[in-house]
Amino acid sequence: MMQENLIEEIVREVLKSLQTNQASAPACGAKAEGKTSLDPARDYPLATKRPELVKTPTGKSLSEITLEAVLKGDITPQDVRITPETLEMQAEIAEKVGRHQFARNLKRAAELTHIPDQRILEIYRALRPYRSTKEELLAIADELEQKYGARMNAALVREAAEVYERRGRLRSA
Amino acid sequence: MKRSKRFEVLEKRPVHQDGFVHEWAEVGLVAMNGPNDPKPSIKIENGRVVEMDGKPRSEFDMIDQFIADHAINLELAEKVAAMDSRELAKMIVDVNVPRSEIVKLTTAMTPAKICEVVGHMNVVEMMMALQKMRARKTPDIQCHVTSLTDNPVQIAADAAEAALRGFNEMETTVGIVRYAPFNAMALLIGSQTGRGGVLTQCALEEATELQLGMKGFTAYAETISVYGTENVFVDGDDTPWSKAFLASAYASRGLKMRFTSGTGSEVQMGYAEGKSMLYLEARCVYITKGAGVQGLQNGSISCIGVPGAVPGGIRAVLAENLITTMLDLEVASGNDQTFSHSDIRRTARTMMQFLPGTDFIFSGYSAVPNYDNMFAGSNFDAEDYDDYLVLQRDLMVDGGLRPVSEEEVIAVRNKAARALQAVFKELGLPPITDEEVEAATYAHGSKDLPPRNVVEDLKAAEELFKGPATGLDIVKALAKNGFEDVANNVLGMLKQRVSGDYLHTSSIIDKNFVVKSAVNDPNDYAGPGTGYRISPERWEEIKNIPWAMRPDQIG
Repeated sequence: MMQENLIEEIVREVLKSLQTNQASAPACGAKAEGKTSLDPARDYPLATKRPELVKTPTGKSLSEITLEAVLKGDITPQDVRITPETLEMQAEIAEKVGRHQFARNLKRAAELTHIPDQRILEIYRALRPYRSTKEELLAIADELEQKYGARMNAALVREAAEVYERRGRLRSA
Repeated sequence: MKRSKRFEVLEKRPVHQDGFVHEWAEVGLVAMNGPNDPKPSIKIENGRVVEMDGKPRSEFDMIDQFIADHAINLELAEKVAAMDSRELAKMIVDVNVPRSEIVKLTTAMTPAKICEVVGHMNVVEMMMALQKMRARKTPDIQCHVTSLTDNPVQIAADAAEAALRGFNEMETTVGIVRYAPFNAMALLIGSQTGRGGVLTQCALEEATELQLGMKGFTAYAETISVYGTENVFVDGDDTPWSKAFLASAYASRGLKMRFTSGTGSEVQMGYAEGKSMLYLEARCVYITKGAGVQGLQNGSISCIGVPGAVPGGIRAVLAENLITTMLDLEVASGNDQTFSHSDIRRTARTMMQFLPGTDFIFSGYSAVPNYDNMFAGSNFDAEDYDDYLVLQRDLMVDGGLRPVSEEEVIAVRNKAARALQAVFKELGLPPITDEEVEAATYAHGSKDLPPRNVVEDLKAAEELFKGPATGLDIVKALAKNGFEDVANNVLGMLKQRVSGDYLHTSSIIDKNFVVKSAVNDPNDYAGPGTGYRISPERWEEIKNIPWAMRPDQIG
């Protein structure tokens, strides 16, 4: 609710504030290497149009994830996760409907599927402003690349390290 | 001065309780087309942007750099920059130029260019454009389901009712942060009791929100905020790079997400750099695009009072929704915070999105009374349900809701409360009594429910969050207690993250768990008789408000 006092507060804040590179875009990743050629009009949504292409990380098909199987204890949290292959297929669909940036995000995601939840959260926190030195960010980039083969994400982190340095957003060592 | 009785009456009108302020462009207190907004320009050398909107690359702040390197489709950028902005605006409004052609041009514009283009439109033209440019053909609506006391039984019951009323997406949040896992779980169970396939989220601090998603307590996330100036972004404890990483993290767990931004946030936080609200918001839309996120919640959101106070502010809010669709992103278009004491004014504000339709007209509509809305109230709430149904009926507009009977609402609320009661018992959480179930069944708001033991609840919620329980444990608990249908629906939501179909732009999930998105339901509006049209069945539904008189029964 915009009250008079809020406006005044904003104006005061504004007055207070008055007194006062180079990194290339993440590599696009390998083009979908023609193992399947998906047609968005024919094949999307995959779950209903091409269910045979979708597998869980444990190799189960969607039709195997049933209530009975859950109750029998045959379905674990690992079974309700996405695989890098499925993300690559969705990226291919995104690319084909002209959503290039979104496709790149899905490809970066494919690289992250094998990284444990806790490490994902730690890397996210390290990328927040003033959390890391340049060396720390570069070490994360190396880890992403060497330990997880996450080349696009490594490039993103290296780019961040450069920008944070130029704009003074690193943690002082 | 002797007072005029007319003026005395006018001063007592609700609109006089709202705040208004004159423009002050130098500090950014201006809605759009600010005198200090940059003039559009782009220079590309060797495939790299070396100048954007009058600024050389050496002077780029981190937002400029992120946009220049990631957000703009460079192939057509110089060509579009050279085109006349008014002609581009005409093409966007012209029903004879298809959306697919427009998107090629608009995604090649710079932020200043896109602002200049929409600056040529009046609100009717913007609505015309929005009708054509939104990504998904079928319009939809999201709601808030929250509780002043974080009462999980109430949240489950209200979510079930909201699903029955037609909301396909639901958002909750917390009064007390540690309640989050309970609220998320109650929303999930309640929504899936009302209708399988409803998408649910819990708005929290970024990392916590992701953790809840990873556990399978939520199906998507939205409260991933981005800002239009570097200072405000950093104040928000993030950068475009950290947010881009977070976006991929969500997708890597098969979870849908969108970013959030809105006009007025920068000036409210004191770092508008003298730019207009719309120009800064345009930068947020480009950051979203550049991060590869499928969509954005905007329309000022929690800062609506700021654009609402300046001339043309509500027009700028419509313009920011439009810019989002012009960049081929899903738009969840606001209308989600109390912004005026005047019923006339709040209705007029919502018509800007209600009439053309957007991916989510509200983000969201309060499915609870205003006092229970923990997002500081919404522009429409549970007490406006019947007014909203009549607006749909009067104007033959699909706003996403349907008339419901009292009997079916009571039944579904009761079932949701009992389902949650069973899950709490099965997971060893503090019991939900039959008295609570009964109260939630017939309640309007949290005041109608008996108080819970907050200390016990919080302790259990914290253990639940730290513990190993996932969405699969909710499925088991439901099935073991006779709620197989709800269990199947919750499992259906978990399965979505295996196929990833709902990661795509503007996705919603129907009752058969089939994803409908901008990929398989693309907006093909091309003038009268095209695009989304209300089907005869849907019109029957909208027409038949239960309290209308039947002429054949008037004796």
